[in-house]
Amino acid sequence: MKWPSRRWQITGVVLFALVAVAQMKAPDAEQFVGPPRGTPIAGDALDQRAHEIAVLLRCPVCQGLSIADSPSEMATNMKGQVRELLSRGFTEQQILSYFERSYGQFVLLKPKFSGVNSLVWTLPVFALLVGAILVVIKIRKLEQPPAQTAASDDDYVARVRDLVNK
Amino acid sequence: MNRTVLLVGAIIAAALVGVLYFALGKDPQAIDSPLVGRIAPDFALKAVGSNESIDLSRYRGKPVVLNFWATWCRPCWDEHPVLTQNAQAMGDRVQFVGVVFQDDEKKITDFLRERGWTYPTLVDDRGKTAIAYGVGGVPETFFLDKHGTIVAKYTGPLSTELLQGYVQKAMR
Amino acid sequence: MTSTLGRFLVLASLLVSTTGAMLAYAAGAKKSIDGLKWARRFAFAFSACMALATIVMEYALLTHDFSVSYVAQVGSRLVPTWVTIVSLWSSLEGSILFWGFVLGIYIAGATWLTRNEHIEYMAYAIGTWLVCGTFFGFLIAGPASPFVTIAQPPADGPGPNPLLQNHLLMIIHPPFLYLGYVGMTIPFGFATASLLRGRLGLAFLKPLRNALLLPWIFLTIAIMLGGWWAYEVLGWGGYWAWDPVENASLLPWLTATAALHSAIVMERRGVLKGWTVTLVQASFLLTILGTFMTRSGVFNSVHSFTQSSIGPTILVFLAFILVASIVLLALRIDSLEAEGRIDGALSREAMFLFNNLLFVVITFTVLIGTVFPLIVEALKGKQMSVGRPYFDAMVVPAGAALIFLLGIGPAMPWGRATREQALRSLVPPIFGAIIVAAIGFALGARNSWTIATLAFGGYAAWVTLAEMWRPVAQRMKSGESIIDATTQAQWKRGRRRFGSYVIHAGAVIVIIAIAVSSTMRTTHEVSLHKGGSATIKNYSLQFLGTEIRNEPNRVSTIARFRVRKNGRDLGMLEPRMNQYAMMREPIGTPAVHSTITEDLYVSIMNVDPSTESAGVLLITTPMVGWIWYAVLLMGLGGVIALVPPRRIVILSEAKDLAEGRDDAVAMNA
Repeated sequence: MKWPSRRWQITGVVLFALVAVAQMKAPDAEQFVGPPRGTPIAGDALDQRAHEIAVLLRCPVCQGLSIADSPSEMATNMKGQVRELLSRGFTEQQILSYFERSYGQFVLLKPKFSGVNSLVWTLPVFALLVGAILVVIKIRKLEQPPAQTAASDDDYVARVRDLVNK
Repeated sequence: MNRTVLLVGAIIAAALVGVLYFALGKDPQAIDSPLVGRIAPDFALKAVGSNESIDLSRYRGKPVVLNFWATWCRPCWDEHPVLTQNAQAMGDRVQFVGVVFQDDEKKITDFLRERGWTYPTLVDDRGKTAIAYGVGGVPETFFLDKHGTIVAKYTGPLSTELLQGYVQKAMR
Repeated sequence: MTSTLGRFLVLASLLVSTTGAMLAYAAGAKKSIDGLKWARRFAFAFSACMALATIVMEYALLTHDFSVSYVAQVGSRLVPTWVTIVSLWSSLEGSILFWGFVLGIYIAGATWLTRNEHIEYMAYAIGTWLVCGTFFGFLIAGPASPFVTIAQPPADGPGPNPLLQNHLLMIIHPPFLYLGYVGMTIPFGFATASLLRGRLGLAFLKPLRNALLLPWIFLTIAIMLGGWWAYEVLGWGGYWAWDPVENASLLPWLTATAALHSAIVMERRGVLKGWTVTLVQASFLLTILGTFMTRSGVFNSVHSFTQSSIGPTILVFLAFILVASIVLLALRIDSLEAEGRIDGALSREAMFLFNNLLFVVITFTVLIGTVFPLIVEALKGKQMSVGRPYFDAMVVPAGAALIFLLGIGPAMPWGRATREQALRSLVPPIFGAIIVAAIGFALGARNSWTIATLAFGGYAAWVTLAEMWRPVAQRMKSGESIIDATTQAQWKRGRRRFGSYVIHAGAVIVIIAIAVSSTMRTTHEVSLHKGGSATIKNYSLQFLGTEIRNEPNRVSTIARFRVRKNGRDLGMLEPRMNQYAMMREPIGTPAVHSTITEDLYVSIMNVDPSTESAGVLLITTPMVGWIWYAVLLMGLGGVIALVPPRRIVILSEAKDLAEGRDDAVAMNA
């Protein structure tokens, strides 16, 4: 049997490799969050949006840094994923949902406004309102004259009065 | 006795000390995986050292031990013999699969040539599989039952006892 | 032998503080002068023991005595001498000893300065200080002992954490932080004393206020130094990440600042005594909470090198002090009676109340954001994160509101204001707002919060300068020259007021600089080979290659860049990747080129000397340098306010007080 020439051998190997590679399929976000619901973006807008979303995702191997700020390879991979998903037209909501699905709410640096988490957003506002009311009440109360006049039994003031009147 | 101060103070004190006391027992680095109880994300990745692409779903019908590791990860070196020996022992009942990410293929083949292997090792594509599985660091191991559902995730290097315990769980 | 000596000194200080505390409280209850004298002696003895123990530890470190456990933990023959000296506070046990040392100095200083005065309060105050001394003495003697004897001392040690050897700021940030944190114990003692005594006389306000101001100055600078250190060392190009340990240092600063403001109203009008005392108690409690957050291992933090197993002990002390303070406040707060009144919502006094409201709400927000993940995990068993996006979203508007108040507050007259008075003070500064906002807009600011902050900042700057000028102008009207008028008004008679306005001026610059540096920075990540160039804004950086430098304790790979701006040569920038002998992962050191307008920041993401290639992160941050120096200005303002007035001034003010002219007194005291 005559072997194919070297050129055909190489072509054959390359084709086979391409086919094998083409069949390689890492899990894709579309399986989990559905098809892209936004429009694909590119160029400067892509850089901008990718950065905006990267600051919302927590680097899982770092101590609290976002993937935008972290130099670790894990963060670089995740940033790459964010860019790819954005360029395919996934929305911010979908991208965040995708990461939340595999890492849990831990990966979201901005707490989701749902269930018990909403308290972290509402309690400070509530505190501000209650505090403001208390301040106004206190101002009203302090407008009344005090129960007793300035302490005349304060030793320091008494000593000073003596000193001055001597 | 100012009742308001006492009440507000008591609430603040109880809440604060209570939360901190509860937190003392916990490790802030230990994050539960939300994937436990869900179907393992499917993937087809290239086996190291060859061009063959291996699909995870091909192993449905048998429990799977899916281990993420890398050659630069020191604890993975200690874990490797535990995995290879147990894989050999359980070979027909349980399928072991390794996925390497953030690594160099030559380093992986050298590593395996030096230390041996008894189950397929796959190379991740730009960390996408790791991300889909919520992998934060290495080594991390997922235990799948024969239907492909993730029954457990373990973070850190496995010992034989731990491994066998989780495999039991996956076989139920 | 050294360990034994150290242990003996620590046990002695524990014994002295326990006995002294009991004695002091008894003396206070019995109003015994003799008892107070003895309490003072015990206070000095505690300070002496702590100081000696610290000297013994430094001696052990410098002589590389590895038979002492702490030296074996952080000592090394390979590191430079300055690293050896500062390794006293590089790890847990040594830093708790350092806490005890600083506490001893503060107690000695406060006891000495009040030796002839305030007899009614001092016994209780000393007792409270010594209770705190007992807690820390217990920690140092027991769970966190640095003086354990090692039977077989090693030949050499691993040295302190490499992150702490990367920068000279390591020398000053921890001591400033401790001088701030620990210093809050002193006003806490004064406040507790006034509660125990059941009154807070006008004469005691000054020591309380000064005892609060001194640590405040240190804490303000320490927080800035922490941010500066993070910026120069950590490589992500920012200075504040709302990391739990960073928040721990901020919380007591917020309540202390609020307390300093309400103390002013307390002095002028004799009101808000209970509230001020509460804020002072809170400031101290937050320092204990802060130390728990840093050392307990409960929080995820970049400062995790300080984590340890003494968390439970600190929590017990925190719980004890918290309960004791609340009970004491509940029992005695009503006896701190108001001795005056205020003139309604349109007065400077009312502005102080709104200032306090904002500070307390910010404190609450930062606290709840930091502990919220723990709460959720306790209630639902799930982990979630509260990170920078949350804190920025909450604190930025609050900060803008504070700057707004910083403008209109000092513009409002004291007491009841007529409409004309109010308009006369509140309208002209609007020009300042417009000018600064316009400049910012012209230079590229577009973010609405930034522009709002610039406007409020411009308003506040105008008001601050006008208020600084007013007393000078008044004096000049009666014929004084400008130099005499300024010296008299600001230095001889109005030092405290002048100092406060210097602090405000610094604060305005800080807030503007923070707003500008966060919203107007640019970043660029690029991979380069030798000879390649990268550009960011109008800078161009040429990668000249890598260099490897061997030092005794580390191997550094340096990436060398030649920097040009608009074609003009700016010299070299050389960020590094350092591989320390004891650490698996290398640690990067960024290279920063600072000018008055902006910083150019270069940080290595990855570097490969064999292929002469590097991945770098380039950042330009405008006005970031202003933050560090403006905070120093705030510290300077505090120092100015702290310098005590001369005797002549006190007496003439006393005359004013006695004759009912309290306006003049409060302006100048």
